[in-house]
Amino acid sequence: MIRLENVSKVYRTDRVETLALDNVNLEIEPGDFVAVMGPSGCGKSTLLNLMGLLDEPSEGKVALDGRAIERYQDRHLARLRNEKIGFIFQQFHLVSDLSVVDNVEIPLLYRRTSNRERRRRALAALDRVGLSSRVHHFPTQLSGGQQQRVAIARAIVGGPKVLLADEPTGNLDSQMGDEVMEILEELNEDGATVVMVTHDGRLAQRTHRTVRLFDGRQVH
Amino acid sequence: MLRNYLKIALKVLLRRKFFTAISLFGISLTLVVLMVTTALFDHVFAPHPPETRLDRTLGIYTLRLEGEGSRSSGFPGYAFLEQTARDLPGAERMTIYSLQQRAVSYPDRRKVLSWLKRTDGEFWNVLDFRFVEGGPFTAEDEANGHFVAVINETTRERFFGPDTQAVGRPIELDGQRYRVVGVVEDVPFLRFSAFADVWVPISTKASTAYRHEIRGGFQALILADSEEAKPLIREELQSRVADFQFPDPDEFQVAYTGADTLFEALSRMLLPEAAHQAQPGRLLTILLTMAVLFMVLPAVNLTNLNLSRILERTSEIGVRKAFGGSTRELVGQFLVENVVLTLLGGAIGLALSALALGAIEESGLIPYAELTLNPRIFLWGLAMALFFAVLSGVYPAWRMARMSPVRALRGRST
Repeated sequence: MIRLENVSKVYRTDRVETLALDNVNLEIEPGDFVAVMGPSGCGKSTLLNLMGLLDEPSEGKVALDGRAIERYQDRHLARLRNEKIGFIFQQFHLVSDLSVVDNVEIPLLYRRTSNRERRRRALAALDRVGLSSRVHHFPTQLSGGQQQRVAIARAIVGGPKVLLADEPTGNLDSQMGDEVMEILEELNEDGATVVMVTHDGRLAQRTHRTVRLFDGRQVH
Repeated sequence: MLRNYLKIALKVLLRRKFFTAISLFGISLTLVVLMVTTALFDHVFAPHPPETRLDRTLGIYTLRLEGEGSRSSGFPGYAFLEQTARDLPGAERMTIYSLQQRAVSYPDRRKVLSWLKRTDGEFWNVLDFRFVEGGPFTAEDEANGHFVAVINETTRERFFGPDTQAVGRPIELDGQRYRVVGVVEDVPFLRFSAFADVWVPISTKASTAYRHEIRGGFQALILADSEEAKPLIREELQSRVADFQFPDPDEFQVAYTGADTLFEALSRMLLPEAAHQAQPGRLLTILLTMAVLFMVLPAVNLTNLNLSRILERTSEIGVRKAFGGSTRELVGQFLVENVVLTLLGGAIGLALSALALGAIEESGLIPYAELTLNPRIFLWGLAMALFFAVLSGVYPAWRMARMSPVRALRGRST
């Protein structure tokens, strides 16, 4: 589903060069549920960003759904992200000016979808995460766990094959974290490929396998 | 998509009330000044009655005389116009008239000041006055020195009271008695050629000295056969002016004037370098530059405000990019927000302009001014508002939309 070949990522500023990822090779199969672990600053988020086509590697190749990404052109990447990937962030990143259902509709705005169809799919996604009763609330009116469930609904509304979750439970207490984890497990059982960055070994144990990073390198 | 953009735009504007208020204030105030200026311009330069045939009208408005050691800038005299402007080829009609002067009267022992203009009979054929009573005086009246007058509605009311007829009745100005032959609708002050309260024949002047004057308070309007005839008229006038024989060649030897549009004449009056040759293009450039500068400053301010406003939304930009928004679509979204803001400011600006123009009319600062917001000016205002939106919105939108999604999600803008 996702293949990284000899991928390195270097961040350059005026004075310093930071090697965030060093020659990483990774294959994620369709239907996989993979946890990415490692200490802070080891390159976990960088890895996720590369998988999610939010960033391009300094060296090496990224392939998504059997296709190598060669042209990193804004419009091209935007379309691929829209169709194939759903993101879940630690800070939820909901748009505070928009209601819950409007937030969930965002990915569909960048497709040719009628208003009615967009609304129908957003409500279905909210139903899936158990938030049917909160569709017209605003993000600030919800608890952290509820906000993250809205974010998950937004990630799945476009029916992507891959879900990339960057510490989805990092800002939640353990009970809410468990709820979110259960939803991710259900989505995985329904066929979604899930890659989740986490610090929590307990959650990592519930996935199919764990990739560990240390100082930008993959350790086994 | 557009509906969603509009929804967000309105929400963003409502959430940031202070910012919105400042922006709206800036946009609407700038627009008010520009709208009032354009309304005044339109009032002076666009065809309105009685100057309805401006496309075919040329005027001899100014005269500059130069000799060895002496110079004079001012208005042509009657003799100069008689000798140079009479029977120009391509001209259908020509009229000579004086600048308006104050004339005093004492009807019922009240002191009344009126603007008095002296004209020939052709004046009424070149210009398109609306008579509400009677009619114009004729070339014959002028030739025979008949003491007849055309007055405007306001003067009729001042002298004879409301709802009365004036034709046939006498009116006294500067100690001379005239018989009213016609009443016209009020003419705005800024229709310079036509404006007055009372129009009388030139020949009723107390002295005939004006017939020999080169310099003086007269002007001429020439109605061309067609627009195409205008260059011919201009050329012929130039050659007559070049050959002009000065009665007193010791004082002045060269005359400069032209068959001008009002705007060309204005360039002669305002620009020292245009005294010999009208430079309307240069004047227009100066005025447009001033207008653009006037708009650029608030636009730069707005750009700054916009930038800081969008900076607060880096996370939203990151999310939209992550979920498939392209740079182009995001630029679109921010532009829509800006256009909404500007159009709102434009609407407020238009309403305030209408109030401002009404206040100017009411104040009597410009007698008989008719400064209504006509559709042409409304469209101007709309175009200016949109120009504003694009000017102040493109740069922030472009800069923010280009932001890398990774950085945006981390909440950093650079």
